[in-house]
Amino acid sequence: MRNKTYNRRKILIIFLCAMFMLVGLIARLAYLMIFEAEYYQERAEQLHERERSIKAARGEIVDRNGVVLATNKTVCTISVIHSQLEDTEKVIQILSTELQMDEAEVRKKVEKVSSREQVKSNVAKEVGDRIREYELAGVKVDEDYKRYYPFNELASKVLGFTGGDNQGIIGLEVKYEEYLKGQNGTILTTTDARGIELQGIAEERLEPIAGNTLQLSLDYNIQKYAQQAAEKVMQEKEADKVSLLVMNPQNGEVLAMVNVPEFNLNEPFSLETMKLEQAPADDEEKQNLLNQMWRNACINDTYEPGSTFKTFTTAACLEAGVLNLKDGFYCPGYRMVEDRRIRCHKVGGHGSETFVQGIQNSCNPVFIDIGLRLGVERFYDYFKKFGLMDKTGIDLPGEAGTIMHKQANVKSVELATMSFGQSFQITPIQLATSVSSYVNGGKRVTPHLGMKILNKEGEIVKEFSYKEEQVLSKGTSATMQQLLESVVSEGTGKNAFIEGYEIGGKTATSQTLPRSANKYISSFVGFAPADNPQVLALVVIHNPKGIYYGGTIAAPVIRTVFENILPYLGIEKTGESLYTN
Amino acid sequence: MAKPKKKKTFDYGLLLVVIVLVLIGLYILHSTSAYNGQNKFQDEFYYLKKQFFATTLGLACMYAMANIDYHIWQRFSVPAYILSLILSLAVLFIGDEYNGSKRWLSFGPLSFQPSEFAKLAVILFLASMIVKQGKKIKQMKTLLFIMLLILPIVGLVGASNLSTAIIILGIGVVLVFVASPMYAQFIWIGVSGIAFLTVFLATASYRLERLAIWRNPENYEKGYQTLQGLYAIGSGGLFGRGSGESIQKLGFVPEAQNDMIFSIVCEEWGLIGAGFLIILFLILIWRFFVVAVNAKDLFGSLIATGAMAHMMIQVILNIAVVTNTIPNTGITLPFVSYGGTSVLFLLTEIGLVLNISNMIE
Repeated sequence: MRNKTYNRRKILIIFLCAMFMLVGLIARLAYLMIFEAEYYQERAEQLHERERSIKAARGEIVDRNGVVLATNKTVCTISVIHSQLEDTEKVIQILSTELQMDEAEVRKKVEKVSSREQVKSNVAKEVGDRIREYELAGVKVDEDYKRYYPFNELASKVLGFTGGDNQGIIGLEVKYEEYLKGQNGTILTTTDARGIELQGIAEERLEPIAGNTLQLSLDYNIQKYAQQAAEKVMQEKEADKVSLLVMNPQNGEVLAMVNVPEFNLNEPFSLETMKLEQAPADDEEKQNLLNQMWRNACINDTYEPGSTFKTFTTAACLEAGVLNLKDGFYCPGYRMVEDRRIRCHKVGGHGSETFVQGIQNSCNPVFIDIGLRLGVERFYDYFKKFGLMDKTGIDLPGEAGTIMHKQANVKSVELATMSFGQSFQITPIQLATSVSSYVNGGKRVTPHLGMKILNKEGEIVKEFSYKEEQVLSKGTSATMQQLLESVVSEGTGKNAFIEGYEIGGKTATSQTLPRSANKYISSFVGFAPADNPQVLALVVIHNPKGIYYGGTIAAPVIRTVFENILPYLGIEKTGESLYTN
Repeated sequence: MAKPKKKKTFDYGLLLVVIVLVLIGLYILHSTSAYNGQNKFQDEFYYLKKQFFATTLGLACMYAMANIDYHIWQRFSVPAYILSLILSLAVLFIGDEYNGSKRWLSFGPLSFQPSEFAKLAVILFLASMIVKQGKKIKQMKTLLFIMLLILPIVGLVGASNLSTAIIILGIGVVLVFVASPMYAQFIWIGVSGIAFLTVFLATASYRLERLAIWRNPENYEKGYQTLQGLYAIGSGGLFGRGSGESIQKLGFVPEAQNDMIFSIVCEEWGLIGAGFLIILFLILIWRFFVVAVNAKDLFGSLIATGAMAHMMIQVILNIAVVTNTIPNTGITLPFVSYGGTSVLFLLTEIGLVLNISNMIE
């Protein structure tokens, strides 16, 4: 039987169908391999590549003179890769000796069937190097960085510390995270489906970029000295805590910020410095205690400033023109405001006095009088104008705001108490910043620690600038300098007097709430030289035992600090000639 | 006048394409299976050795078939068909299971897949049955009768291997189509076939799931193989990673040496290489076509057509599955995918076609 024409035509149809479909499939392939290639390639690569991250070295933190306050230490992580182990017993024996670990514990980890088991992290570099020299198959020694603070407790609450991933947790470490952290690198290796790295395929390596260096306005020597002074007074007066702030009132640079007790930055999760009588009951309690320990009282906590705040009342009244230095006052030991009898700290009263004498005596009735002259509205206007309602804007996380009466609720009694610094709360940094503006020519400066960002070569990458604002007249400021100088040379601040220096200052003693507890905060704010202040210091002593007057216990702290740091800062004695004549 | 010397009609072109495909197939198979062979059998040549053995045997069979007058097989076509039925039945009871499918019969160290033999048997059987019908073939009922004849084998093979059953059915339809002068009826067959397939797919939820996986392989665990194949294809791009450089074959595409081997070809050789391979298959199909059209008689023509149908259905379905053009079904790529029985009978079939080509007058 012959092959017919129609058979041939049909075979042709079949063949054409096949050709048509195969060409269609080539088109489909072209679509997948050209237009969708990128998508599938990316997905495939994600599947094949195992990413190992290379930690970037975190930037250092240095003081204004380049003293390193925070740096990195190389540590090692020891791990075992089960599938590559050859002599398990030898590995267990060497690791347990070198790492000083229990053999059973090491054995458990080494014998565990896992792709990679970590035996110990944070191992000293020397130990890691020794282990590496054994060249044990299946044992991996990976180097890693760990944050290290060479001075342990120094400026602990300011610097802050970092967590396990090297990210900042508190303090400057958080605030300047973006500059410090750098950029982690990665090693991308290609593996087969079982996760075994393929040889001969170039690994992609993205080098880590080390973080930049943060240069602070802080001065290591001043900080150290201020810390010693604060610790000394805390111990002598059995105080709960002491904050000591040293800054340049002209530009807001913080030279020292001490909050004792400090804590050890290399052991930030140890509660040892808190000297607890009993261990915390649970994790929550421990965390609360840790948070307490880490608090930076200079900026995180508010207090009633007391008499140091009389500087504000004086400056505001002078600006408003309601006060003449020659104005006379009379203090019978109290002042009646409406139906309230508000006491002066001197029970018998100061008698007749001028305003200058009034501020030297820190006489409450004098400030009540001028505060009432100013009136609620203007008091609030200046309070706002001088920046006291706002945060100072210091470059540290968690600055507390001012706690103040609502203006509408303020009557004479409240105004009277506010005039001498009571019934409202501000932070120590707020007080120091305010006083700075009264004595530096009238500028409200932004207190700050961060000055520059430097790269590895020490070149400046970024220089921070901070806001300054003229809030009161130069004339008033000059008057304030003289008044406060006289407080130290002739008034309640005489314990801060240093022969040869013109020092200005103001004492304060305030009772904490509840008043019935009879707990006090003594403080003193001082600056020098009085006619052109280059340095301003504030000490706040919480709950001192025994004598608690600011003039008696706080002023001497600032005197000892100034005695040491004024020569260090190159501030010359000027007044000597007065006495040699 | 002297009788003109018989023209040399032996299709050397077909032979050449086959040899090239066999060599390329072995090369790709080794490259793709080395990883799995090493991991499962500690021998990277494990799969290659077995395939090489089957190929050698196949080449011998091809040589033999090319030299035996194909008309002899007309006599053996019915016994061969019955034998394929017996073997396919046997595999249901005493077959070896591998990867969850019962498809192999063991003879000592050798295993054999009866469904591959069934394809060849069906081609021979249908060709001889159609030739026997003579002019009756023009009647619709004859066509239906012939189709009914192969339903037993389709059913038996389909019980364990649906994909091969579809191929056998496809070969049958093509042969009947070519044998019959009608067109309209086949349109009806086509329409009813699609209707049947729709009902068939809709009646079982697992088949519907297969459709859902086809639409969005990312969303299903069972879409893993398809997705990995697509990753491999996409990774190839225009020029591929280079021969032997596939990463997807390293355990990502499961059993990469089997059905999905074409995706590895794409990954290593890119669109250029994969397109070249498809064109080689197209040339092979074209040579079958030439032989089928020029064959001395209808019997030879139908055998060549059957071989062509066999080849094209498998190549098209395999590539369509690998590129996720159609839902996943297990069909191997001729000469390239791992499978000894497949290559053995493919080569035997080609020997048959070569002999037909040699007889062209």
